[in-house]
Formats: sequence, C-alpha cells, structure tokens
Amino acid sequence: MSGLDALLPYAFVVPLLPAIAFVVIGLAGTRLKALEWGGWIAVACAGAAMVLGVLIAVAEMLGPGQYVDRSFVWFQLPAGSSSIFPQGFALVMGTLVDPLSALMLIVVTVVGFLVLLYSIGYMHHDRGLPRYYAELSLFLTSMIGLVLADNLLEFFLFWELVGVCSYFLIGFYYERPAAASAAKEAFLVTRIGDVLFLLGIFLYFAAYALVGPGGGWAASGFKFTNGDQPFLGALVGQAQSPMLTIAGLMMLAGAAGKSAQFPLDVWLPDAMEGPTTVSALIHAATMVAAGVYLLAVVAVFIGFTPDDQLAIVAIGGFTTFYAATMAVVHTDIKRVIAYSTVSQLGYMVLAVGAGFAMVGLYHLFTHAFFKALLFLAAGSVIHAVGTQEMFRMGGLGRTMRVTSVAFLIGGIALSGILPIGGFWSKDDVLAVVVNAAGSHPLYWPFAILAFGAVFLTAYYIFRAWFLTFSGDRPRDATLPAAHEGPWVMQVPLVVLSGLAIGGALLVFVPSFASLLHVPAGGGGVPPVFSTADALVSAVSVGLGVAGFGLAYVLWGNGRVFALPASSPAQGVRTVLLRRYYVKDAFDAVGLRGMYGLSRAADFVDRFVLDGAVRGMERLFAATSDRLRRLQSGVVSDYAAYVVTGLVGLLLLVLFIGPYLVGAIGGG
Amino acid sequence: MTELALVDVLALSAVLLGVGLFGILTRRNFILLLIAIEVAMNAAILNFVAFAAFGGTPAAVSGQAIAVVLVGLAATEVAVGLAIVLALNRLRGSINVAEAVQLRL
Amino acid sequence: MSPEDLVFLGVAGVAVVTALLALLVRELVHTIMWVAIFFVDLAIIYFLLEAPFLGVLQLGVYAGAVTILLFFGVMVTRKRIFSREAATGIGPYPLGLALLAIVLVATAGSSIPGGDLPIRSIAPATLSTTLFGVDGGWLLLLGLTMMSALAGAIYLVREGRDE
Repeated sequence: MSGLDALLPYAFVVPLLPAIAFVVIGLAGTRLKALEWGGWIAVACAGAAMVLGVLIAVAEMLGPGQYVDRSFVWFQLPAGSSSIFPQGFALVMGTLVDPLSALMLIVVTVVGFLVLLYSIGYMHHDRGLPRYYAELSLFLTSMIGLVLADNLLEFFLFWELVGVCSYFLIGFYYERPAAASAAKEAFLVTRIGDVLFLLGIFLYFAAYALVGPGGGWAASGFKFTNGDQPFLGALVGQAQSPMLTIAGLMMLAGAAGKSAQFPLDVWLPDAMEGPTTVSALIHAATMVAAGVYLLAVVAVFIGFTPDDQLAIVAIGGFTTFYAATMAVVHTDIKRVIAYSTVSQLGYMVLAVGAGFAMVGLYHLFTHAFFKALLFLAAGSVIHAVGTQEMFRMGGLGRTMRVTSVAFLIGGIALSGILPIGGFWSKDDVLAVVVNAAGSHPLYWPFAILAFGAVFLTAYYIFRAWFLTFSGDRPRDATLPAAHEGPWVMQVPLVVLSGLAIGGALLVFVPSFASLLHVPAGGGGVPPVFSTADALVSAVSVGLGVAGFGLAYVLWGNGRVFALPASSPAQGVRTVLLRRYYVKDAFDAVGLRGMYGLSRAADFVDRFVLDGAVRGMERLFAATSDRLRRLQSGVVSDYAAYVVTGLVGLLLLVLFIGPYLVGAIGGG
Repeated sequence: MTELALVDVLALSAVLLGVGLFGILTRRNFILLLIAIEVAMNAAILNFVAFAAFGGTPAAVSGQAIAVVLVGLAATEVAVGLAIVLALNRLRGSINVAEAVQLRL
Repeated sequence: MSPEDLVFLGVAGVAVVTALLALLVRELVHTIMWVAIFFVDLAIIYFLLEAPFLGVLQLGVYAGAVTILLFFGVMVTRKRIFSREAATGIGPYPLGLALLAIVLVATAGSSIPGGDLPIRSIAPATLSTTLFGVDGGWLLLLGLTMMSALAGAIYLVREGRDE
C-alpha cells in the first residue's frame, strides 16, 4: 500500500519517541507522582512508538521487500586525506528499514509497550520509579535504534547503549549487593564479547574498506545497503580468507556475549536480580536477541565463511542443550525461565549458523512473545506471593486463573507442541538444521543436541507449571493468599497469550511471509514452512509430549519428586546446580589470575621501583655522610688539601704538560 | 760547580718552602702557623729575586720589583694574621687552631 | 767550588736550620729569636745576589717590623699559650717531602734558561724606574691592599666586640 510507504523515510521518529519519555521523566520524574512517577508517560511514548513501528513494518511487508535507507552524514573525511582510508571515510547516522529490521521492530515495540504497561501495576510499590521508567525508555530507544541502524558503526553504538541500560536495570535494586554484583557481572561478561566484536569490526574494515560502489565501504560510512543490494554486493558470503573467518568468529563472540551463549552465558541467570519486568523485556525478548540479530545482519549483508558457520552451529547447538540441562534442577522460577531463554537463543544461533538467518529471526519473533508471557506470568505470581521459590508454591492455579492459563500457554508454545507458537518456528529451526546437516555432516552432533533439548525444554517448563500451579494449596503454608494483579498487569498477559498463540500463524499471511524471504543477494533463501519436513516435526512434537508426560508423572497434581540421597543422579544434580562450574572457572581465571598479577605488580612497584628510588636516596645520604668528614674545621687539614691539590697540579704540568704543548702548540 | 748557579738558589727556595709547608701542616699554635707562612713566603720571594739576578735580560728587573711588592704584602698579611690571633684569643681563650672548628660540618 | 759557592752554601744551611729550629723549639720566645736570625740570613742572601735594595728592605721590614709584630703577638697571648701540641693531621710529612722532591727534581734535572749566566747587578735606580713605571700597577695594588688590611685589622681587634 503506497500510502504507508510514505512513512518509511520517517523511521527515525520511532526511537525518538521513547527518548522523549526518557528526557521528560529523567528531568521531571520526581514531580510526577500522579502519573505513576512518569510511568504513564513512558507507556504513552512506547505506545506511540509501537503504533508507528508496526505501521512501518506493515509498509515494509506490503512492499516488495525493499530496503529504505535514510541517513545523515555528520562527519566526513574526503578522499585522499587519510592513508588508512584513501577513498575517504564517513560517519553516518541513519535508519534502514528492511525485512530484518521490520521483523525486529514489531517485536521490540510491541513487547516494550506491553511490558511498560505491566510495570505500572507490578512496580507500583517500589521506590525509585522515575529512574526505572527513564531507564526503560532509554533502553527502548537504544534497542529500536539498534534495530534500525543502517551502518555497522551506528549498530555498535546502540549495542553499547543497550548494554549500559541493561547494567542500570539489572542493578535497579542497587542496595542489594547481589543485584549490584549481577549488574557488574552482566556488563563485564558482555564486555568481553563487545571487545571481540569491535576487533571483528576492525577486521571487516581492513578487508572491505575499499570495496563497493562510490569510493568504497569506508567512504559511504560502512552502510549495510546500497540501493536494493547489500553494499558489499556480490561479495556477500563468497569471500573466503582466514581473516574473514576470524572476523566472523569475533562477531560470534560479540553475539555470544549479548545473547548469553556458552561460555559467556554466566551473566544471564544472575541478571534475574533485576525486576521481573526487566527480565521480561531485556533478557527475554529484546536485548539478548540483539546478538542473534547481529549474526543475522552479518549473514545477510556481509557473509560468513563456512568455518564460521560451523563454529556458530556448534556454539548454538551446544548452548541449547547445555542450558536446558541446567533448567531441569533449579528451583527459582525466574532462573528456570532464564535458562530457557539461553537455550532458545541457542536455537536461533543454530539456525543462523546453518545458513538460514531468517528462520532464526522467525524463532526470535515467536520466542519474544511467549518468553515475555512466561516472565510476566511469573511476575504475576511473584507479585502475589512474594517469593520466587517454586517449592514453596503450589495450588496457585485455583486462585490465579488468568496467570495460570497464561503460563500454560507460554509453556506449550515453548515446548513446540501443536499448534501454537514455538511449534512452527522451532520446527523450522530443526528442519533447516537437519537439512543443512545433510550437506555438512559435522552439523549432526549439534542437531541431535537440539532435539535432546526439545525433550528437556518440555520437561522443565511443565515441571515449573506443575510445581507452581497444580495441587490444592501452597506447600509453604506461610505464603500470603494469592490473587490476581490489577488490570494493567492482566491485560498484557492476555495480549501476549494471544500473540503467543497467533503470532507464529502470521507466517501464513503472504505479506508477512515475504518478510522472511531474504531479498536477492542475501545469504541464502530459507524455506519458511516445508511440508517435506513433517518427519522432523513429528519427532519434535513427540519429544515435547514425552517431556510433558515425564513432568506430569514426577510433579503433577502437587506431587513432589525427591531424588533419593544415595542416587548417583545426585552427583549430576550437583553439577547442574553449580552450573557446570563455569562461573567458578571464570572466578579462578579472572579473580585469582588477576589477583596474582596485581600482587606481582604491587611487588614490583614497592620493592623494585620504590626500592630503586629509596636506594638512590640512601646512596646519596651515605655518600654525603662520608664526604662531610672532609670539612673538619681544622685549618691544618684544609692546608693539607691545598697542598695535595698543588702537588697534583705540579705533576700534571711536569709530566702531562709537554704532551699537551706538543698537541696544541705543536707543529 | 765553579760558580753560583741559579739552580742552587732555587734549590734553597724549594727546601725553605718544604720547611714552611711542614710547619703549616703540623703546627697547632696560631703564632707558629704565621711564622711558617712567613718562611714559605720568603721562599717564594727568594725565587723571584733569584730569577731577577740570573735573568739575563733587562726585563728581569721586574723580578725584584715584584719581590718588593711581595715583601710589603707579606708584612701586611702578618699584621692581619696577628689581629685574627688577638680576636681569637679574646674569643676562645686559646690560640690552638685545632679548637677553632666552628666551621665544621 | 768557588768561594762564592761556599759562602752561599753556608748561608743557605743557616737559613734552613734556623727555619726548622723556629718551628720546633719549645719556648715561643726562642722561636722569635730564631725567626729574626732567619730573616737576617735571607737579607745576606739577597746581598749575595746583587740585590742591595731588596736586602735592605728585607732587613727593615722583616727583621724589623715583622719580628716585632710576632713578638707582640707572643707577649699578648702569653698567659694561655700552648707551646707544644702533638702533631696530628693527614700526614704532612709525606706531602712536604713529595713537594720538595718534585721541585728539586724539576730544578736540578731540567736546564733552566740562563742557568749558567753570572749574577747581574741591578742598580737601585733601575729598580725604582721599573717599580714606579712598568710594574707600577703592582705597587698600587699593594697600597690598596695594605689600606684595606689596616681597616680590617683595626676592626678585628677593637674593644667592644660583644662576643
């Protein structure tokens, strides 16, 4: 519809709307008690952003898969002025609306709006709310900016901003040491990824700075697209070189940091120290998805080498299974959902690595909705009973019907059981991986791990559901009476449930499906839904149902399954609870390693450097002490010195003099 | 040696200088110090006179002229030295230079 | 050895001996006596070297004024005199000997220009011409020095110095 197309150049307005909220709440928030301390302003701006964002995405959908790039050059070095970039260099800020960003735009704005609305009720009793709403609005701005970024540098800029907002929001309850520590941990671990990401960007610059039309990539400001093509044109996915492989691995590292893939996953479960709404928005639906989005963007516009793809598949596949195993033993409801997020992100990474970036993004799309749903439902429970320990809960389904059903829907969607949500997207992921494994046999182990994770996923999520909602009454009798939250909390739950069910079905709408076809020149055209992979689907559904069954057997109807203390599985359980000691490994290397280094440095500073200085000082003091004895005050001594000098001079004149005269006077 | 030669006088001057030096370096009595200085100075003056006498050129008379000046100077120096002795004596009650060590570090 | 030489040898020997004695005897008044003899002896040497004016000057200034000055010094500080002090210090003997040896070697070993020329007699008239002519500057300096020395000496010894 050409009418909506007129909106496309104005995409830059979308991130500005929450920015307005950020500024207003930041400056005047403490005076806005009536507006829930700025909450309603944030909601309003997020709502406007959502409307505009969805309309733009629809415009993109209805158009022929175009790229619309609107940018503004704010710094430029002309050609010939720099030896590193002989054709010039530009820094550009702009927006690019393309199928990838349109998809993400819907996710980010819709979930953002719903979470903010939910927050009004959930956070009502908390302190420091202006800070909360301001930071969340800033986050929304940054995330939308990241999604709409039209060049690699701007992408990185918003990437960093998003990380900063995550730090702020995880540490929202900063007075709690655990929260402050978790915020630092999140920032530092993702930083490792970010540094490598930056190195990867430099490597891409080195490789491609002069490639492309109009003077080269550098001169255009490292944009992703040029007209209807990726800027690097035919090179995408075709170039092969060790440097590019390393650059791709760096990108993977950055994505692993942000999306909590092994081994940089340690921060995500700890990030649950932040408010549940923050977990829902940032650590389920959006920020962690940025890593996957990065991989997708690189895959489509720059390209990965085959070695990179294997690495991505390996990391994604391994993480999927690894995180799922940990989710089966934890007792904190938020942590279970957090591990689930890591695991599902692994699926997305897996898909991108197999060469089907859009399938990965499709799973991201559906996952955002049901994961946010799960988190908000959990939040509703926490809000009602004040605890996160599932073993203290039970029977809440009787008094919290809406929440219970919402959680159930989310769980079914997550498990990939027909016919809702995750079924469509997760099966697509599995299908493409199996497909790719046909031509890349090395992918098989990871495909199998992915299938294993399906079983575990169903098991752990239904375990959580049973533990929390089924039965007659809470296991811990001291729990307050549970009841549903206010309407601002229930409405998002209902909406998200609808989206979880139906969101995936959008794929049957042709214009939406067109989003999932990567335009010409991209990295591979994925099959969106192929009936030839029914076998894969059957296996996956079967595994899901099996998981549900096991969970029912062990936990249904208020039962509590206790592992016998003598069972060998207890050892396994301990390892899982300790998260495979990965965090301890980090501590050993980071803490003790750094501490050792610091102690060595301290030693050098205090004994070597200071020692040298003090040694000199003592040397001078000793020398002067000896020398001062010469000034004895006794005249005879002084006379003796004079005579000594005189004798010396005489000797000099008598014996050296003739030679000097010969040398100087001479000739 | 059939005749008196310059070397002989110079030798005497050297010996006298040695004597004077010995006195300067060893004597602790201020007056003896002054005497020793005088001996050394006279050795120097003798040197000048010797060169004037054996000079060979008319300009050698400058040696004597300088010797005259030096004699006057030496006398002056004794006078001032004695003034110092008197002041020191009044201050410290002794003329032992080994005791006048206020300038030691 | 010519008679001149012998005479000179004797006079020189006296000079050295009296100088040593002056520095080594116990009683300070005896020192003064030896000092006087030393100065007179030097005057004799000057006469031998055909420098009559200087000889007379030596007698007048040294054997006269300086001796009396030293005598006064001894008398004024008499009551609290240390006439003998053990010699300590940084080994003056070696130094003095070294200096001595060097100078001897230098003078005896090398050939001094005009070393075998006979003594020239210089008339006082020539001397005075030079003294107030070519070398007049030295005389002026001497005069200035003497004046400032006088001022200094007066300052040093005046009564009322409150130390």
